[in-house]
Amino acid sequence: MSENYFASVDVGSLSTDVVIINSAGKTMSEVVLDTGVNGVAAAQKAIDLALEHSNLTQEQVIAVTATGYGRASVPFASGKTTEISCHGVGAHQLFPKTGTVIDIGGQDSKVIQIDDRGRMLDFTMNDKCAAGTGRFLEVMADRLELGLNELSDPSHITGKSARISSTCTVFAESEVISLMAKHTRREQIVNGLQRSIVNRIWSMVTSIGIEGEVTLTGGVANNRGLVLVLEEKLGQKLNVPENPQTVGALGAALIALRNFNNQHF
Amino acid sequence: MIIPNRSEYLKQQARNGQKIMGVLPALYPRELLWAFDILPAEIWDPPGDILQANAHLQTTICPVVKQGLEFILKDPEIVTAGYLFPHTCDSLQNLATQVKDLIGISAPVYTFYNPKGAFRQATRNYYQDVLRELQTTLEQLHGPCDPEKLQTACQLGFKIDTRWNELQKAWMSDQLPVTNQEYFGLMRALEYMQPADYLELLDQVTVQDQTVIRNDTRLLVSGILPPDIETLSFLDELKVRIVADDLLAGSRRIPIVCMDPPYDPMEHLTDRFFMLPPCSTRANSLAERSHYLKTLIAKSDAQGVLFNIVKFCEPELFDHQFLVKSLKSAGLPLLNLETELQPGLSGQTKTRIEAFIEMLDDQVTA
Repeated sequence: MSENYFASVDVGSLSTDVVIINSAGKTMSEVVLDTGVNGVAAAQKAIDLALEHSNLTQEQVIAVTATGYGRASVPFASGKTTEISCHGVGAHQLFPKTGTVIDIGGQDSKVIQIDDRGRMLDFTMNDKCAAGTGRFLEVMADRLELGLNELSDPSHITGKSARISSTCTVFAESEVISLMAKHTRREQIVNGLQRSIVNRIWSMVTSIGIEGEVTLTGGVANNRGLVLVLEEKLGQKLNVPENPQTVGALGAALIALRNFNNQHF
Repeated sequence: MIIPNRSEYLKQQARNGQKIMGVLPALYPRELLWAFDILPAEIWDPPGDILQANAHLQTTICPVVKQGLEFILKDPEIVTAGYLFPHTCDSLQNLATQVKDLIGISAPVYTFYNPKGAFRQATRNYYQDVLRELQTTLEQLHGPCDPEKLQTACQLGFKIDTRWNELQKAWMSDQLPVTNQEYFGLMRALEYMQPADYLELLDQVTVQDQTVIRNDTRLLVSGILPPDIETLSFLDELKVRIVADDLLAGSRRIPIVCMDPPYDPMEHLTDRFFMLPPCSTRANSLAERSHYLKTLIAKSDAQGVLFNIVKFCEPELFDHQFLVKSLKSAGLPLLNLETELQPGLSGQTKTRIEAFIEMLDDQVTA
């Protein structure tokens, strides 16, 4: 009998991620693409690539869960789940002692409390503003003429820090312009930006509290400087997955598998 | 059941020569206005952008007050009998002053100062004093109050309250085959309908003898206003049912238990005021509110609580933190949504609602 496979598509504001797993939950392939202007096309392209990388055909994938802001418009999905549930399940799979997940995505950031089976107990999510999200860092990197890699350089956060607002991306950008005009060192501005984003996340962390190990997910977890600042604020080490961007997609694929098992066994 | 459109209904009433008074939220003796043949048209969240009102109000004033002022500044023709400002919060009280003394509209402006805090004989006496004061003020423009009309108005109000007590019970026990949108549409139709018309509308709602078996997720909603139409329709789509409410524009204006039929109008109106559920705008104690909510959750079998918070709503936000803490410590899942009373359901809000429902459903299947 041929093996069953399960997939997911996480259509986010910046990237579209696909993960394919087998019936034991083992990852067969994962793909991250820019979402661009057409989320549906990006989803199709990403699943095609993931199938190609794992030498599978579409027929072998028996369930696909869509997640992310574009979850409702993935035509080949057999189900949909919010990215909040998916990050909880994905983080639990990678770090089973996780009690709290901090997900910093392109346009949303969330703090999620999960139980010892990866099920959500409570969550909070940023409001309408993009402060405290990946988009915030993109805007600032652009303004400072830095690549995202340079922005995440951990050496920036050891020295002096400029003071930057944590409430609004537009205000923060104006502050950065003023600091640049005053010839403030770029490292100090970057340090200030990392602390600003962490302060924003911190208000969400304090609203629901920290339980157990903390796992950081979402593309912003690749920002090593921010990880250090957040660890300093939390007073504990963070679990940072090898591919933090695909944790939501991994969770969605695991939910596809779980739902299939619930229906058939 | 067809709920008449608010704007069309009021325009028709105005065309028929009906006196209409614009009433700001929330607690006022509607029966007294009915006795003077005045139709109250409540102003909670009139649609449209806030343009002129921003020039008169601070940015941190809630959208109920801002939209109320925007409506008044348009000087709508249908409002022929002036405006009534109950003392709901400091912002509305200040608005009454602004409208009366600073903006200076031509229509009469009335105020009604509800008592605050715990029930005592003195508060009861005070409430009767303000009722009589309003009656005397209205008499100056509309002639003497006919005692028979006041008695009839109280009878109508009593019938509406009694019917709502039945409907609330039926809604909680799954015996009311209506959607969230229909339920709250029905509840809010009293904000602008004639009492007799409204009773006819209520009579069109059939309470089923048997419990309708549903697999819906059950929520209690708390706040000032119910979620907007798009959110209610989204909840209907997700098979989520609001089985009980703690809303100022909803159950907080319906006596907690069935009252006795009215004997003396002033006594009846006073009894009614003190039999309303605990409310932030009446400064009931936090312990009382928390106990009431927990009881309502248990009675309605709600799986979680949706706080629909109007941005910058002072009285409600004072209580909110405490209620959240109290309900969370009792293990009750909560979702906070903030509204500025503008139409449209954002992707983020949809995600929050869906994630909350996933969380509740996970807890059921666990």
